[in-house]
Amino acid sequence: MVSVAFDRLEIQGNILRGYRRNLVRHLVLEVRNRDAARRFLGVAAAGGSDDVPRITNEAPGRARPDAFFNIGLTFAGLRALGAPQDTLASFPTEFVEGMTRRALKLGDFGPGAPEHWPQPFDNPARVHIVASIYADFKASLDKAQAQVAPAFTIVGVLDGRSLPNQKVFFDYKDNISQPRFQGIDDPEQRRVDEPKDPLGTVLLGHPTRFEGLEFGVPVPRELGFNGSYNAFRVLRQDAAGFERYLTTAAERLLSHPDVGQLLPKGEEGWIGAGLDRVGALREIVAAQMCGRWRNGVPLALSPDSPLPEPGVSETNFDYPRGSTCPAGSHIRRANPRGGQIVQRIANRTRRLVRRGMSYGPDFDPKLPDDAERGLLGNFIGASLGAQFEAVMYDWINLGLQDPDITGSNDPLLGANEPETSWFDLRLRNGGHIRLRGFPRFVWARGGAYTFLPSLPAITYLSKLTG
Amino acid sequence: MAGESGFDTFVDDLPRKWWFKLLANWIVIPFWAWLRPTPPLPGGPRPTPQPSENVQRMMNLVMPLKDKSPLGRAYAAMAVAQNVNEIFAGLDNVGTVHFARFVVIGDNLCMISVYDGDFTNYIRDFIATVGSVFDAIMDLVEGGEAVKPCETKIDAFIDWIHAHDLFQAPDLPTDLFRLQDAARGVERKREPGLLRSLSREYILQLNANPNFSLGGGYRAYPGFSVAQVRQKLGVGW
Repeated sequence: MVSVAFDRLEIQGNILRGYRRNLVRHLVLEVRNRDAARRFLGVAAAGGSDDVPRITNEAPGRARPDAFFNIGLTFAGLRALGAPQDTLASFPTEFVEGMTRRALKLGDFGPGAPEHWPQPFDNPARVHIVASIYADFKASLDKAQAQVAPAFTIVGVLDGRSLPNQKVFFDYKDNISQPRFQGIDDPEQRRVDEPKDPLGTVLLGHPTRFEGLEFGVPVPRELGFNGSYNAFRVLRQDAAGFERYLTTAAERLLSHPDVGQLLPKGEEGWIGAGLDRVGALREIVAAQMCGRWRNGVPLALSPDSPLPEPGVSETNFDYPRGSTCPAGSHIRRANPRGGQIVQRIANRTRRLVRRGMSYGPDFDPKLPDDAERGLLGNFIGASLGAQFEAVMYDWINLGLQDPDITGSNDPLLGANEPETSWFDLRLRNGGHIRLRGFPRFVWARGGAYTFLPSLPAITYLSKLTG
Repeated sequence: MAGESGFDTFVDDLPRKWWFKLLANWIVIPFWAWLRPTPPLPGGPRPTPQPSENVQRMMNLVMPLKDKSPLGRAYAAMAVAQNVNEIFAGLDNVGTVHFARFVVIGDNLCMISVYDGDFTNYIRDFIATVGSVFDAIMDLVEGGEAVKPCETKIDAFIDWIHAHDLFQAPDLPTDLFRLQDAARGVERKREPGLLRSLSREYILQLNANPNFSLGGGYRAYPGFSVAQVRQKLGVGW
């Protein structure tokens, strides 16, 4: 496919780059009054008004409004707005079925099964639009919510926030590695050396990493072109359970005959000032499970210490044969980069844009509690099937990409059971110690597959009749 | 059997009586199918929570030939023969395919294969590798034009292949209740299907779906992926 010119101003602003605001509010909306909803969308896409927030677009060097506002529509939402039959039929199967019917593929069973999801995701038929407001102050969220309320029925409100230092509740620095796109200059990514991805990785109607392959653009083209898909996920994170397991694992490792290959005696101080042996082993287990030390330093470049001298890049590395990053670690599973994998042509075809913010109360590892907290995640790409589902099913929860990890789940994100879970810690001599018995640390509490239309597409939807 | 009355024996023998078979095939089953519409269930294996069940999965792709004659079958044989090297190279590149072969059964061109992991990734990566080669096969089968070129209609192509992959009866027979309810859009959260109606549900599905795969099949070394086998044998993965 030849690359087509495109106008950045026509794309919603949360796709190619993140906003990096302090707060987010996701409003889950039901379309009860089709005309009111269409009017709202028309005004929002045309620049907003006193009563309607403006949809934020992808403007280079964009001004900083008080609140950034974006929308995604579910299949039920497109139908509720009155999209015609041939349009509905042109969307891909996974989007039509929706997240709940893909539960087994995504590892959403057991505690994460859709039948345990609380309101509003217990009733997917009423989840029509997920409208997301990003801002630094709560007043801006409230204002935008008040503007949305008259046009829709708000069936759910989910508030999230950035934790200090880009951390998540497991205390890892997150949001480090993102795809970067051909033709898009993102100042935050200038020093990243991963190959640039074609725009079709994330926007419909553009060339993809698969030579010759095209993801279907829904009809009419005005609606489908420059659109994208989002797997919106409410992911509960069991921070207390995770910290508990790190201690359990560290205490078991103390007496393991090969523990010296994991942490030679006397090197505890390399892991962190003032750490005892259990404390240092806890950090090593945490680092190997993730593929990064909790401060973000990648194991691929600094396997023995989170504080290497001289410092190393957080983003510029690969996984050659014999890499010091375990094949089963979270970041290597989710993005194997240029490393050897079983699916030879898939290395960089399953890239996802990830944008997430935390929800729930602060977590203090010294006073652990089991309150509900986690991540409100957006996993964005041009094909839910070829990207999000492919990563979740074959790589996160099956480990198909490397024979040494096949049959195991991602230690952090996977659908683990203590009876069957395993993860191989990498030793300095190239051997391994197998960890077992860890529970599931992350499970879904809700979510929806949404279509992120371009601005002309939102205008098109606002003009539907009937 | 102790306590069995003559009436029980009579009822048990009914399916073997010629007149009952006639009645069932011409009146009872069509009436049932009308009363209780049963959509043909989608093909292929279903994802499961057990990782070992998610490797070595069976594809039984049945593609009805347009030309149902010896000549039509010969064209199919030729199309496969002319492209088989590229197709096998493509399957090798996918990395997750254990075995694959083409057979002609009746007036159908069939591709039978065993693969690991997700079906859509298998098909997508395959087409990404072989490009337009598979189009030559789609030219010869009913409904093939609608999904070619396979490369640029990849989503529709995958759906088409899925629809022509044989339905695999669940290894646990009572799972059929849940599958058929889901296909009918019926929610039956509390009350499971009545066991005595199980054979009826199977007959309704067999009525909708004349070709059927009986379970997931036998596996000599379950739970191992292609790459694990290759690694063990030292032939590279």
